[in-house]
Amino acid sequence: MMPLVAAGSTALLHNALLVGAILFALGLVGILTRRNLIVMFLSAELMLQGISVSLVAWSRYHGDFGGHVLVIFVLTVAACEAAVALVFVLQAFARTGRLDAAAWQALREATLPRAVDHALPASDAIPPRWPRLARAGIEPPADDAAALEREHV
Amino acid sequence: MLPDLSPGVLLAGAVTAAAASLWLLLPRGAESRAARWLGLVLGAVALAGLVAAGRRLGSLGEEGVFLTVALVAVVSGAATIVTRSPVYSAIWFALSLAGVAGVLLVLGAQFLGVATIVVYAGAILVMFLFVLMLAQPSGLASYDRVSNEPLLSAVAGAVLLGLLSLSIGRLSSDASCCAPPTRAAAVVTAAGNAVSPGSRRGLSEDTMKPGAEATGSAQAAAGDAADPLAVDQVARLGGELFGRHLLAVEVAGVLLLAALIGAIAIVARGEAALEDDRRLAAEGSRR
Repeated sequence: MMPLVAAGSTALLHNALLVGAILFALGLVGILTRRNLIVMFLSAELMLQGISVSLVAWSRYHGDFGGHVLVIFVLTVAACEAAVALVFVLQAFARTGRLDAAAWQALREATLPRAVDHALPASDAIPPRWPRLARAGIEPPADDAAALEREHV
Repeated sequence: MLPDLSPGVLLAGAVTAAAASLWLLLPRGAESRAARWLGLVLGAVALAGLVAAGRRLGSLGEEGVFLTVALVAVVSGAATIVTRSPVYSAIWFALSLAGVAGVLLVLGAQFLGVATIVVYAGAILVMFLFVLMLAQPSGLASYDRVSNEPLLSAVAGAVLLGLLSLSIGRLSSDASCCAPPTRAAAVVTAAGNAVSPGSRRGLSEDTMKPGAEATGSAQAAAGDAADPLAVDQVARLGGELFGRHLLAVEVAGVLLLAALIGAIAIVARGEAALEDDRRLAAEGSRR
């Protein structure tokens, strides 16, 4: 396999670091804003992906395996973190019946005001589009004439 | 083509557009189609600016491959955090992982590219989806339709991205000042220094010989290390992992075991605590 770009290429390093920075910033915004616990964890994983891209880019630039090894450990720790965190999320859901981070605001400091949700419109202005599946298990209408007819010869 | 903009202005514009786009697209309770379209357009502008801020990679093919996988990673990463439904969010994250795996493959990390797909998309993400199926109320929950401080967070993300991209641009614009030389180059330089006195005339032959040998082995080592896409790359990564980092591998194994036991312990204790809560509540209502 021929190398796409020569090792130690500054342009490739620059672009890959930029991608890593964008992924990290997106994950940061996600974990700060979203209130669904699962989406918060997905954002944290997005930040980890940004870090992985940066590490591998530096590893490529220097021509050694240090970054690769670090990314393998990032994967390991991410798996552990996801396992433990999801157990916490499930327990939290069993307690409150919601995946809402704000359901736990009783744990805030005593001096902080209580966060109050503003009134939401009863339904979304833009209703979510769920996938529509065709009904299965229905016998199709049999039409012998159509079955014999062919569109193309 | 784009008009002549200094890289700083270009980056600042792109980052500002990205922040505005994120603010418009994040769930804010009351959405309008106009805001969503404006957000999408601003996002496209931000992406175009960031693409223009990137370096050219040489040939069109390399450029196209890198651009495609990077755009997939970034666009679906953005969709992960702005989608209202957490299930769609998880699926967008899977697509983002595919893009990241592509970037890793372009960077020559074959094992990591495959491992990202297998471990992340195959195992961790499926675990997330299982939890979502266990814990998702039907339809969109109210907390999926609002977010905490979208404006401030978008600004914070934009400031972080601006600072990072500025420092990245300065770092690689003159590589000689800031970036350390590659290990391969350092080996070659050291070998050259070692051999240059020996190659002068007037020195005896036996002082020349080790120097020449050193150059040969150094160049072989340099060729080895400088080619991350060699055929035996994964084998060498394994050698590095289980040679130099053997202790860390063992510690990672212990960490995995501890996480496994910890997860089971938390579930068991949580169940017991829930039972206690229910019993107390029942007694309270009886009284």
